[in-house]
Amino acid sequence: MKRRPAATVALYAAVVVVALFAVAPFAWMFLTSIKPDGEIFSRTPSLWTGSPQFGRYTDVLDAGFATALRNSLIVATGTTVAGVAVAALAGYALARFDIPLRRYLLLMVMGVQMFPLVVLIIPLFVVMKALGLLDSWVGLVVAYLSFTTPLAVWLLRSFFETIPKELEEAAMSDGATRFGAMVRVIFPLAGPGLAATAIFSFIAAWNEFLFALTFVKKENLRTLPVALSAFVGQEQADWGAIMAGSVMFTIPVVIFFLAVHRRLTTGMVAGSVTG
Amino acid sequence: MGSRFDRRILPWLLLAPALLVVFGLVVYPVGRTVWLSFRAAGLPYLASGQSRFVGLDNYRDLLTNAHLREVFLTTAGFGFACVAATMAAGLAVALLLDQRFKGRALLGVLVLLPWAVPRVAAGTVWRWMFDDQYGLVNWTLSHLGHDFAGFSWFNDRWPAFIAVGVVVVWQSFPFVALSLLAGLQSIPPEVKEAARIDGAGPLQMLRHVTLPMLRPLLLTLVVVSTIWDFKIFDQVYVMTGGGPYRSTELVAITVWREAFARLHLGTAAALAVALFAVLLVMTIGYGRLARDEVPGGRGVSPRQRRREPLGPGGRGVSPRQRRREPLGTAR
Repeated sequence: MKRRPAATVALYAAVVVVALFAVAPFAWMFLTSIKPDGEIFSRTPSLWTGSPQFGRYTDVLDAGFATALRNSLIVATGTTVAGVAVAALAGYALARFDIPLRRYLLLMVMGVQMFPLVVLIIPLFVVMKALGLLDSWVGLVVAYLSFTTPLAVWLLRSFFETIPKELEEAAMSDGATRFGAMVRVIFPLAGPGLAATAIFSFIAAWNEFLFALTFVKKENLRTLPVALSAFVGQEQADWGAIMAGSVMFTIPVVIFFLAVHRRLTTGMVAGSVTG
Repeated sequence: MGSRFDRRILPWLLLAPALLVVFGLVVYPVGRTVWLSFRAAGLPYLASGQSRFVGLDNYRDLLTNAHLREVFLTTAGFGFACVAATMAAGLAVALLLDQRFKGRALLGVLVLLPWAVPRVAAGTVWRWMFDDQYGLVNWTLSHLGHDFAGFSWFNDRWPAFIAVGVVVVWQSFPFVALSLLAGLQSIPPEVKEAARIDGAGPLQMLRHVTLPMLRPLLLTLVVVSTIWDFKIFDQVYVMTGGGPYRSTELVAITVWREAFARLHLGTAAALAVALFAVLLVMTIGYGRLARDEVPGGRGVSPRQRRREPLGPGGRGVSPRQRRREPLGTAR
């Protein structure tokens, strides 16, 4: 179908508006992070900079962001490894055995996606205090398992179901145990599913703010989002530094996200609705 | 095939760690929060577990305390406003991406980006964009002919909510847009063709063909967005901190403050339970609606709807798996 010229102009105008709305904050974040201070704090913000400086990134890292980065990496990696291990075993069991719990799995995933984390936070705080897990990486990892595990089980179960049963049966008739067949035959085949689930868990743990804010008070154990929010809260906010920190916080997760967003959509929708 | 151990015991051993996580970290805390909502608990509870049964007092507070009552109304008003704006923006972008134009695939990826940003980072960046002196927003608005130079978005309740709302919509419209695009692309071309032959213009097409066919999907997205927008914490914490004078507090923020700043743990628990109950009722109500909707078959069939939106990547998903995506109506 041919469009009238006026319609074409309107169409491209809309495209530009949408693209700007989506991308402008990214551009502004990056641009601010490399502008000299004089250009940042100016009544007429310049949309470009002639003298980019990347020194702010190292400054920010030296000012405590490196520690936060380390904490975030450790906590997110720990959550990912523990969560995927737990979920792989459970997902396999739910995919291959006729377990009465199957019917409740979806309900569980849905429930966890639906309810606000503030519902969990007081009892978790009390238990962690009793166990001495406040102000520790382990404490955060444990807390994060509460919302990553159900969804990971769901994702992995559906992935295992796509792998033919005959493969284990063949291995078992060659003398392997069920467990051996699972670990040596099925898990390697489930590589892509495990990877996607791992990335999902990593993103969720990397982004989490509420638990990190509440369960960790020591400055040297803070994760990135908490460190960033503390930066913003200062009286004379150093926006160049804050934006440099935001870039470092955002970029890894955007890359991961683009790799798995389709599966994430699945999980979120599965988690939030179906009755 | 397989020993007795393999059939009877192994499955439960495999499930045990996950069950431990679910019961220890989800079921127990939820139960404990419900329990706590019937008790008066303060600092002594955190220190040594002391609390006292007070019946429904905490829930009565939710109704009688002016601030708490207002927080609930604010959350509902703000939440629904965000949902409406998100749906409108998402539908508009989906219709746009459904057109043919150069750079369509690129726009599909660009639109995805805001969704990928951590909420705290999004709040931070937009807090800076909305800066009164040096912000891009005020500069742009001033250039468009409104005098926004030096306008403080965060000194007053309504402007602050607008700023937070922009961030919320910015982060949630991509999901709505891409889901709706998938729905749009699954409408059989014959249907549109038939409508066109009958003389339907673009608006009539939208009103009488497209939207009715997308109804189940729209309903799903409204519920998902509502659930998300009622739980907002991060963006508000970073952008306004609930201020000025607690006027931008939403339920999640208030729960946190009552619990960890003011140490009114019973009140906080009751608030959290009330929020949970509201979301639960909405979800169940949606489940009913969706179930009633299916047999009539007015909507696009679930299978068709699952066609992929445009975008990058997408390898490694088997057709079987794609089919299982329970996007849309309940089974």
